[in-house]
Amino acid sequence: MDRALLPPQLRSQLKGLRLRPRLAPGNRGVGLHPSRNRGAGLEFSQYRAYEPGDDLRQVDWKLYARSDRFFVREAERESPLTLWLLIDASASMRQADPARPDWQRLDAARVLAAAIAELALAQGDRFGLIELRETGPQHLPASTGVRQRDRLWLRLQALRAEGELPGDAQLEPIWGRVQRGDLAVILSDGFDPRLIALAERLAAAGRELIFLQLLTAAERDFPFHSGHRFRDPETGAEIRGDGRALRAGYLERFGQMLAALDARLDAAGIARARHVLDEPLLQPLRQLFGHAAWA
Amino acid sequence: MGLSLLLPAALAALAALALPLAIHLARRTTLREVDFAALRWLRPASHPQRRLRFERWPLLLLRLALLALLALWLAQPVWRATRERPVVAVMPGVHAATIARLELPGNADLRWLADGFPALESPMPASPQPITSLLRQLDAELAPATALTVLATAAFDGADAQRPQLSREVDWRVMDDPPPAHSPPAAAAAPVLVLQAGTDPGASAVLRAVARAWRADADTPRFDASHPPDPADHLLAWLDPAAPPTVVLDWVRAGGVLLLDASVAKPAADAWRPAWSDAEGRSLLELAALGRGRMARFSRPLHAERMPELFEADFPRALLAALQPAAPAPTRAVASQYRPRQVATTHIPPGRELRPWLGLLIALLFALERLVAARGWQRSAA
Repeated sequence: MDRALLPPQLRSQLKGLRLRPRLAPGNRGVGLHPSRNRGAGLEFSQYRAYEPGDDLRQVDWKLYARSDRFFVREAERESPLTLWLLIDASASMRQADPARPDWQRLDAARVLAAAIAELALAQGDRFGLIELRETGPQHLPASTGVRQRDRLWLRLQALRAEGELPGDAQLEPIWGRVQRGDLAVILSDGFDPRLIALAERLAAAGRELIFLQLLTAAERDFPFHSGHRFRDPETGAEIRGDGRALRAGYLERFGQMLAALDARLDAAGIARARHVLDEPLLQPLRQLFGHAAWA
Repeated sequence: MGLSLLLPAALAALAALALPLAIHLARRTTLREVDFAALRWLRPASHPQRRLRFERWPLLLLRLALLALLALWLAQPVWRATRERPVVAVMPGVHAATIARLELPGNADLRWLADGFPALESPMPASPQPITSLLRQLDAELAPATALTVLATAAFDGADAQRPQLSREVDWRVMDDPPPAHSPPAAAAAPVLVLQAGTDPGASAVLRAVARAWRADADTPRFDASHPPDPADHLLAWLDPAAPPTVVLDWVRAGGVLLLDASVAKPAADAWRPAWSDAEGRSLLELAALGRGRMARFSRPLHAERMPELFEADFPRALLAALQPAAPAPTRAVASQYRPRQVATTHIPPGRELRPWLGLLIALLFALERLVAARGWQRSAA
């Protein structure tokens, strides 16, 4: 790992932030997150004596053969929350600001994803990664632990933004990964309506969704004054024009789009935050996972 | 009259001004390309924003100025001092009292028509002056618009053989002042031939005959070193093969004319040149200057078989013409008959050449242009 994905300063600021799914019903268990299974997990925890009412499937029959007693394999209770980080890897994520050309949208997405995974790791939650690449979604299976974090960082650092978003048919496997009740954080510029539609459908199907929109300062301010050839990195379409002449119309339409997007996300019950590349990274995290968000 | 161009057609080079204009317009069309992901919210301006707009005004102006100066440089600009004051040129011999009586323009620039055109306050220059030549010089040196008045004496020396042709209308006023003293060149009298006979009596006889042909009363005295003859009207013929002594050469340097026989070795002189040739172009007589005087030397012996021209009836006169300098042409003219004519002229009045300064300015501008261009390039690259 050539450099730490998460700046130490940001990592220290993560204290006090919590992943708290809003959809969680409050009547299940006493853990940090409500449980939805009955304690049968993947990782062995201990044996305990059979009690009437235990599922016969959980009786360890080999141990019974050796000891002539019924023991029940008890697994560590699975963490009820699974976090999925969905990162848009289309070419538009390569966009950077003229003032800071080496800080792409994808770089911000990487750091934010690492920060959110850090939160999950601190809480013992499982976290996985889904890269929305042109060739189809690539996923890192959800798990927890420091090694999972290393795997995640490796994947994040190898991630490159190219091409367009995968088609709807290719997005189908996401439904199998992101289970009902899981928390999914989408990191994208939010320019592709298909991704918004996917988020809406996931939210409607009982998934907990967070949409973290990443914008460049140029998209917010449109600081172009002379003639330019504006090129869409995904489609290659071009618009020529004088920055001053285009500015007013662009800012108006862009503002309308953001307002419409906010309204859609709100209507779908999707938590949202917006990060502009020249702003501090902590701000959207605090907005999503800080004390104010718990209320 | 200030600035004028010797080659105004070179201003056609101003057409090159279109070059930087085109460059700066064309550079505008090559727009800077930027990636912009939010392209779908960008609409091209509804009315096409196709105003002609130049990029980088200071650089463009510099380049235009540079090219304009180059065109000007090609056009050979000259600066002429503005002299609008009418000029009154006064021939030497016109009295100050006469001038005072005349009605002349109040701001007139009064000058003697003499070498260097001294102001009238300076003493009257000596006459005669080469009047026609001076008139032409004055006409050429003055700006075309300057009026010229000439106050002429009734008659004057220094005229050409024809009326002067000047580029302007000259106010030619003939004063009735007496013309300066006139001494027409006297017709040169035939000289007395002083003969230093040599070993060849034939040659001496020929020269004595020549002397008699020149002057009927001629006798041919011998050269007497203690009483050298007057160089003005004596001619020394030296037939003695022995080189002429120093005293003779000194006499020549004082203005005498020495005629040498072919048997005499050529004394040292700057350059001997043929002065008289026969019908076939072979030299008969060679001349060389020595001091104020001259030496002549027959190219061949004075014998009829070597020099058949001796038989010619006009041999003495032709010999005299070859020996004596040509009489000056008459240069006296009556002023009332000598009014200059105005002719259309293609003469270009002189002026101070501005090219070196312009070249310096162009070099400076070029350096500045490179500086500005490089700085702009750095800024766009950064």
